[in-house]
Amino acid sequence: MSTTTSRRTTSAPGGSRRSARPDRAAWGFLLPFVALFLFTFVLPLGYAVYQSLLTPVRSGPLGLGPATLGFAGLDNYALALQQSAFLESFARVLLFGLVQIPVMLLLSTALALALDTLSHRWAGILRAAYFLPYGVPGVIASILWGFLYVPGVSPIVDLLGKVGLAPDFLGYDNVLWSIANIVIWEFAGYNMLVIVAQLKAIPQELYEAARIDGASTWQTAVRIKLPLARPALVLTGVFSIIGTLQLFAEPLVIKPLTSTVTNSYTPNLSAYNEAFANNNIYLAAAESVILALVASVLSFGFLSLVNRKERRDAR
Amino acid sequence: MSVSTPPAEKPVPAASAHTSQTAGTRRDGRPRRGVKPSRILLVALLTIAALYFLLPVYWLVVASTKSSAGLFGTFGLWFSDPQWLDNLSKVFSYSDGIFWSWTFNSVLYAGVGGALATLLAGAAGYALAVYRFRGREAVFKAVLAGVLLPSTTLALPMYLLFSKAGLANTYWAVLIPSMVSPFGVYLCRIYAEAAVPAEMLEAARVDGAGEWRIFGTLVLRTMTPALVTVFLFQFVGIWNNYFLPLVMLSDDRKYPITLGLTTWQTAADRTPELYQLTVGGAFLSILPLAAAMLVLQRYWRSGLTQGSVKG
Amino acid sequence: MDTSAPSRRAVLRWGAGTAAALAAAPALTACGEAVGAARTTRQAPTRRGQKVKLVFWTWVPMQKTVDLWNRTHPDIQVEMQTIPANVQGGYQKMHSSLTAGNPPDLAQVEYHELPGFMLVNGLTNLSDYGADELRDSYVPWQWQQGVFDGKVYTVPQASGPMGLFYRRDLFAKWGIETPTTWAEFEQAARVVKARGNGARLCAFAPNQPTWFAAMCWQRGARWVRTEGDTWIADMDNDLSREVADYWERMVRDDLVFVEPDMSSAWYKHVQTGKIAAWVGPQWGDALLRGNAPGTAGKWRVALLPQWKAGQNASANWGGSSTAILQGTRHPREALRFAHWINTDRKAVDLNISVGYGWPAATGIFRGSALDKPDPFFGGQRYNDVFTVSDRTIDTSWKWSPTTDADFAQLQDAFGASIAGDGSLAGSLAIAQKRTVDNLLAKGLKARSAR
Repeated sequence: MSTTTSRRTTSAPGGSRRSARPDRAAWGFLLPFVALFLFTFVLPLGYAVYQSLLTPVRSGPLGLGPATLGFAGLDNYALALQQSAFLESFARVLLFGLVQIPVMLLLSTALALALDTLSHRWAGILRAAYFLPYGVPGVIASILWGFLYVPGVSPIVDLLGKVGLAPDFLGYDNVLWSIANIVIWEFAGYNMLVIVAQLKAIPQELYEAARIDGASTWQTAVRIKLPLARPALVLTGVFSIIGTLQLFAEPLVIKPLTSTVTNSYTPNLSAYNEAFANNNIYLAAAESVILALVASVLSFGFLSLVNRKERRDAR
Repeated sequence: MSVSTPPAEKPVPAASAHTSQTAGTRRDGRPRRGVKPSRILLVALLTIAALYFLLPVYWLVVASTKSSAGLFGTFGLWFSDPQWLDNLSKVFSYSDGIFWSWTFNSVLYAGVGGALATLLAGAAGYALAVYRFRGREAVFKAVLAGVLLPSTTLALPMYLLFSKAGLANTYWAVLIPSMVSPFGVYLCRIYAEAAVPAEMLEAARVDGAGEWRIFGTLVLRTMTPALVTVFLFQFVGIWNNYFLPLVMLSDDRKYPITLGLTTWQTAADRTPELYQLTVGGAFLSILPLAAAMLVLQRYWRSGLTQGSVKG
Repeated sequence: MDTSAPSRRAVLRWGAGTAAALAAAPALTACGEAVGAARTTRQAPTRRGQKVKLVFWTWVPMQKTVDLWNRTHPDIQVEMQTIPANVQGGYQKMHSSLTAGNPPDLAQVEYHELPGFMLVNGLTNLSDYGADELRDSYVPWQWQQGVFDGKVYTVPQASGPMGLFYRRDLFAKWGIETPTTWAEFEQAARVVKARGNGARLCAFAPNQPTWFAAMCWQRGARWVRTEGDTWIADMDNDLSREVADYWERMVRDDLVFVEPDMSSAWYKHVQTGKIAAWVGPQWGDALLRGNAPGTAGKWRVALLPQWKAGQNASANWGGSSTAILQGTRHPREALRFAHWINTDRKAVDLNISVGYGWPAATGIFRGSALDKPDPFFGGQRYNDVFTVSDRTIDTSWKWSPTTDADFAQLQDAFGASIAGDGSLAGSLAIAQKRTVDNLLAKGLKARSAR
């Protein structure tokens, strides 16, 4: 990870700042955060790895008597990876991400660029409208959209039915994209705002120069603004990838409405159900560790890919 | 990750000063021309987009005025026999006013968690930015890894650990994880590097101020824009969070609104009036944040260049 | 580019190193530690006059019954907390509270969940607190649901004998006789499809494996049995496949809606007369009454259709107990409350009004709120039907300790088969294999029936 920060100040404080006991002061400032970070990131991860290596040993008639813990080696991992439903859940969120993230970012970028060419007052109102859903928690958004998806209850399905369409938003082939719609609805405006902010940081002289060169609004948008908005796109991309892997609340809320959302629809849902519905916290721990690994590989991978390309472009 | 900083919004003044000299251009620096068809198309598309984003919210407003029977029996996009006050008062009075508890809890988790997370992130980011000390790189790498690790993958292991420690199903179970924001540290470090001048610190030290005093007075003030941003992100992140409280809490008096409302929703098939309460509660719950969104947009935009946090 | 930022490779290397170190560190010291509930039940001494407070989790809206208890028992105050019904979140909550060591004193647990709770040591052994003396107050087969290895672990609440709820007005309009066999039922479905203007006889709910299990139960199948200490999964048998094929045909021929029952879409169909019947449990009466008040007076209840004319077999859907979870400090008081709420005549009447089920207490039916004509069912003494139904249930049906997971997988397979990926009968084979896997994963001995 790298930052295109202003380097002007970074060297100055580092070089000249030699207080009497810098180590002590620095660690004083860091300690509260680091302590909590250890407690909420490092320790749980370690504990999950530990739990994932255990399994219960049964006793009593039919195994219903008292049980103790035994060492399982990598059995839980093998078990998790043998479960086709768990593997499918990864495939599902990958497919989801491959479609949902580009569509959302395309929409966000288009909205941002379009707003950037509009006059101030309108842009402000529209921007607020687009951004509003970000303030609606994911579960609430899912409850709302759930009502709009269920046939017989949804006014949208009603209206479409009147013109001869009968969309089945909760059908087997559609429900994943209905969930994608909820996620896009929640975050498109937010991502748009990130891009707008990036565009605002671009010196106006650039646009002026382009205009004098005779570039049309469209050309300015695509040739100048879009490349300059790149850092914002990378950022929103990374967070979208992380968000996709965490997909949980939306399918959980939609699930009671349809038989097409399974109990292991996403990796998170699978681990949750394994832990609390099926009560196998050891297997659930293994699934959590696998998910954390995959997530790290994907987000680091995306970053290194983008940055490698950036370096190549710079060359 | 490439992030451009400093984040301070560079608003229009430069441009408007420039454009005021140019006849025939508008304040935003774009030429004023006759209304072109392409422009009408653009406005039309943007309006359709606005309808898309506002439709579910509009539906919610309409639905919150209906009875449970009306919710299923009447057309969803128009009012029918509105009984708004009656509905909303039921939301607040149901089950000994549990909705009040949920609201209070949400404010507590998001407010206190967000504030403490901001303070800790500010201190840590500042330390990483201005001091050279052993272990600095290691800490920063750990922070970056924390940014890239989806937080929900940790919720389950954290629950197991908190259970052992006797912390599960306490306010702390939600508050403690909410106080940690690696991304906030990352932002604060970048901002402090750019915005805290070494000369200022030196001058303060010459005046005999201790490190903590410098931080508490000068630095916090200088870093205010970044801190506000971090607070807002963290606040919304906690407010919208669902997985962590779902896993950690079993006593419904400790639930935040998100968890409480889904409880109502899932219990509605046995207690039909809960359908209406869920809708009414959802309506009430988005009011404060929607208002905050609109009012605080400026801050968002100024801070957003630095990145984002997803719940 | 700021050169002070670390390279990604360094971060990765560091991350991998930490993970490895963490993995190696906790050197397996806890092997031999007990599994399950973090806290075990212990009776706290109470002084005279001291008030005891109990927490009770349930999804049946029994607040009025609890209020009655609180009025009449000032020394033991019960706080009822509503939880999501069964697998929609209720059990997740219970298990999470057991692990965390802060369970409620009492909770509603369905019969098919009890073996699963035994696996995590989640129930209080009530024989230690005198529960055996209460045995005679309850229907024997329901009492036995909570007995493991000769010890009593729960107080039965109610069961769910099944029947056929139907709209008499619609049946009359379309000229349908009340079906007594499944063949007639299918015939009726065809008539509704032809004459009903978009209506269907009923819905098939792929999300309701317990309902499907009841259908197989009626047919005479047994999904789980034991041999010595080994669990045997037997879902994929001829009888169950016959049931599966029957509903497969109903679905493929578009004779039924396919939608989750007791969901908003289903209620909408019930309210608007698009659904004319429900093969449902006795406790469904309160759901119809509460969710479709506009259809009052139009419903009737008949016995379940039979596979062969003249047969008389029924099945049970649901059935719950009032469990005293592991970890309570007041098992005696909790047991008193659990016994009272399930046997006191006034309490039972209040429970009946909110659809708590078919009482597990013996001799309570006559003179109870169940034993009257009901205007919602057009003045029919509809519970007489369920009295017959209740008597004709084969009560030897057994549940596996992994029912939750097994049924979740059956539900998923149903969902896939409805979408065209496999068949309902094929889902049974999948579920059987998964059930064995689930049992083995829990460290139990298990095998497939064939």
